[in-house]
Amino acid sequence: MIIEIGHYALVLALATALILSVLPVIGARRGDAAMMALAPTGSLVLFALVTLSFGALTWAYVVSDFSVANVWENSHSLMPLIYKYSGVWGNHEGSMLLWLLILVFFSALVAVFGGNLPDTLRANVLAVQAWISTAFLLFILLTSNPFLRLDPAPAEGQDLNPVLQDFGLAVHPPLLYLGYVGFSVCFSFAVAALIEGRIDAAWARWVRPWTLAAWTFLTAGIAMGSYWAYYELGWGGWWFWDPVENASFMPWLAGTALLHSALVMEKREALKIWTVLLAIMTFSLSLLGTFLVRSGVLTSVHSFATDPTRGIFILCILAIFIGGAFVLFAWRAPMLKAGGIFAPISREGALVLNNLILTVATATVLTGTLYPLILETLTGEKISVGAPFFNMTFGLLMLPLLVAVPFGPVLAWKRGDLLGALQRLWVFAGLSMFAGLAFFYIQNGGPVLAIFGLALGFWGMIGALADLWYRGNFAKVGFSVGVKRLIGLPRSVFGTAIAHFGLGVTVLGIFAATTFGTETVVEMKQGASVDVGGYSLTYDGLRDAVGPNYTESRGHFAVSRGGVEVADVWSSKRLYTARRMPTTEAGILTFGLSQLYVSLGDAMEGGGMVVRIWWKPFILCIWGGALVMMAGGFVSLSDRRLRVGAPSRKAKPVKARLEAAE
Amino acid sequence: MVLWIILAALTAAVAAILILPFARATKAASADRAGEVAVYRDQLAELDRDRAQGLINAEEAEYARAEIGRRLLAAAGAGEAGETAAPKTRKHGLATAAVTLMPPVVGLCLYLALGNPGLPDQPLEARLANPGNNVALLVAKAERHLAENPNDGAGWDLLAPIYFRSMRLGDAELAYRNAIRILGPNPVRLAGLGETLVASNDGIVTEDARAAFEQAMKLDPDNPRSRFYVGLGFEQAGRAAEARAQFETIAKASPPDAPWMQLVNQHIARNGGTVVSGKGTAQALGNPSQADMAAAENMSQGDRQAMVRGMVDSLAERLKQDPNNLEGWVRLVRSYAVLGDKPKAEEALKSGLKQFPSSGELVALANEMGLAVEGVAQ
Repeated sequence: MIIEIGHYALVLALATALILSVLPVIGARRGDAAMMALAPTGSLVLFALVTLSFGALTWAYVVSDFSVANVWENSHSLMPLIYKYSGVWGNHEGSMLLWLLILVFFSALVAVFGGNLPDTLRANVLAVQAWISTAFLLFILLTSNPFLRLDPAPAEGQDLNPVLQDFGLAVHPPLLYLGYVGFSVCFSFAVAALIEGRIDAAWARWVRPWTLAAWTFLTAGIAMGSYWAYYELGWGGWWFWDPVENASFMPWLAGTALLHSALVMEKREALKIWTVLLAIMTFSLSLLGTFLVRSGVLTSVHSFATDPTRGIFILCILAIFIGGAFVLFAWRAPMLKAGGIFAPISREGALVLNNLILTVATATVLTGTLYPLILETLTGEKISVGAPFFNMTFGLLMLPLLVAVPFGPVLAWKRGDLLGALQRLWVFAGLSMFAGLAFFYIQNGGPVLAIFGLALGFWGMIGALADLWYRGNFAKVGFSVGVKRLIGLPRSVFGTAIAHFGLGVTVLGIFAATTFGTETVVEMKQGASVDVGGYSLTYDGLRDAVGPNYTESRGHFAVSRGGVEVADVWSSKRLYTARRMPTTEAGILTFGLSQLYVSLGDAMEGGGMVVRIWWKPFILCIWGGALVMMAGGFVSLSDRRLRVGAPSRKAKPVKARLEAAE
Repeated sequence: MVLWIILAALTAAVAAILILPFARATKAASADRAGEVAVYRDQLAELDRDRAQGLINAEEAEYARAEIGRRLLAAAGAGEAGETAAPKTRKHGLATAAVTLMPPVVGLCLYLALGNPGLPDQPLEARLANPGNNVALLVAKAERHLAENPNDGAGWDLLAPIYFRSMRLGDAELAYRNAIRILGPNPVRLAGLGETLVASNDGIVTEDARAAFEQAMKLDPDNPRSRFYVGLGFEQAGRAAEARAQFETIAKASPPDAPWMQLVNQHIARNGGTVVSGKGTAQALGNPSQADMAAAENMSQGDRQAMVRGMVDSLAERLKQDPNNLEGWVRLVRSYAVLGDKPKAEEALKSGLKQFPSSGELVALANEMGLAVEGVAQ
């Protein structure tokens, strides 16, 4: 009965979404307060219904109700409980339901926290959100319904894909979707502004927290996905320029551009039309990413199921939302009042440079991702566009941007002084170069060009600190006054500095890990030793073990440094019995920020094992930097200015917003 | 019935909440720009802070103040103009009708088309507590028990043949091996394991399988089933004389009307022997039910070959579509080699090695089967 209630709640949600799609827009057009007031009320109802539905499906997973086809296909009664929860979205139908849940969650947030918005804008934004909800509800109910039943019910499920039986599945998709779907709010704001035909600096202020929240979650989601692929797939790599990865990276690039252009709009009322376009583009890329992965066009661990009806449905959704938004943009954008002008050397100018590079980079990644698909459709020829293409194009594009990042915050709005900025920053640039050299010397070895890469990473970190240094004016006023001045600064300044610092950390990690990392492939017999990255690994033979739903043989390695044993590590090959599917579980040892990565290959004749061992110096900087960026996002999100605009209402406490956004 | 009451209540609640905004006294909509004004006022305040901290100089601050001031005036002016508009009372007949009707109509129509209102929830625990005659559930229950008591040999012993019959070969293999590990080997378990291995290798008697059958034979030399498979293994390896010896031993030890005699005689003939005085066939001819059995069990030599061939080809086809399957490649190479199709075997070996260049298993197999592969041979 619970399952059927969940199913019905989803159908009822569709009815609600249909009402919400139409009436508030009419209300906004006619200035009808009651019809506009329907939008927030209805959005909360919608959220409640989808939550009920999602809860019912989760319950079916937890109690292993195999009369639900979706549960039977993707669960097993002996799976650990956490995977029964995360298994809900470890398949096509369930993940679409999660997408929808997060979408209506954001609508509900806009309904609750949108008190400072003009009534018409709020009604329109929520109506656009309801359009997207309607499309997804139809898609789920008609082509990907997780509530279809089996009668008679099988006795045991077919198990979750072993690769997905990991803590990563519990974290990565929800974070990623919070990012993807968060940008839907920006999209809805943009479309609502186009419908109203009015847009101004305040709009940018209102959109900012949503952009920031989505960007923060997407950053975390991508980093998490990358780390998951790194430790689960056993290939030792952390980014493969795989189309699925690109699909999540493109909205991030566009979203980063949006974050910065909205800043210009808020401060100077310039770049208005561009910002609206970026908001539309970012969510379009999110949609494209979601569906590219889901339609079965790309085969990977993410494409759970392929089905032609779904493909066509997906194409229609993409065409309606992306095409519709761009048509609306082409029609209405010329009617918007254009914004102010500014000099090329200014904070605005720096942000435009940022936007320019980021959008070109997005276009590059988009080309590299879609070109092979298009070519295959048209000519049947299969090509793969891999790391060399992206490193040459995307990599080169990023270099000037990374050099420019520290300049942005120290330039003044309106009219900047490049010479002055150079004068202020050259000491720090020198410091970065020195740090790069020192790092290179300590690690000794590698191509000389790597020094510049390392220096670039330090430049990002030190440049962020330099910004704070000048804002506190430590050089003139001394330490204690400087600290006082810093404390008085708005939190968004710290958010910027922290995020830029994190970017530097990531860049440093990328260069250090690729320059100084080593890969060793050896055949090892029991008792054999191999030296990697200053550590010595001794292979101690295979042992058999049994997990709840798998059997494995685990290789044991003792790790010593200078003759002293410092750690030991297990690396195993598993066989998941229900699906007869083998996986490798790499053994990973962390030393400071560096990691030793051991992966078992095939067994050789005579008892030897092929063992792949990677030494990954400073690899944790890559994801650590992303975490720092995320922290920057949250700090900026806590800035009191983002909550301004509700004069008649009491200011909401800082914590409330953070909790809601999480 | 309870379900329908709950669904009706849910629908009514949704419709009632959605109707609320219309029921409230309709206040006039203002072109509310107060929020906007507040944003600009805050920008002015921020400007003052920046100025006080010396983050921007006086001239810049003045420019910025003027810019924000212009926006502030525009917003405030528009707001006042909007608020003077006379409030209108509106009727919402159509809208309220839509809000009231939509949930029950859309909800019912779609749910009746998609849902299964008659089907109750079936949590596994509840079903296991009361399994009835459902074999699958009984198996699941036994699996549960074994997951908690993996050393219950009798349980494995019981499950293994059930798995084998329902073609869950992997599970059957595991169950037989566990039963043998815990209860010790006996001819039935060993032969069962061997048969499972043969079935999961598309009818090929592999090393593992042969070892199991030979052990079974040692424990019970009179077991015709084990001996038959040992013979089959020799036959597949092309060792006709040894194969024939095994088949003839079976024929000698078996009563002439044993149901397996026809099959055994066929294999004796195939391995170059002569069937002793035709007693088996005579008996078989004399007994129609046995003949039926034989016809079902033993196809003609050509049909049998064709069937094996068909299995191997379907494996090859599967691997073409999903080449990422080392076990499959090993099996394919072995199958072709056993069937005597050397070019095909070498081709499969090459494809397999392309997919798994570092696979020692494939190279070892090539050496064992005497296959040559240019460039890869060690």
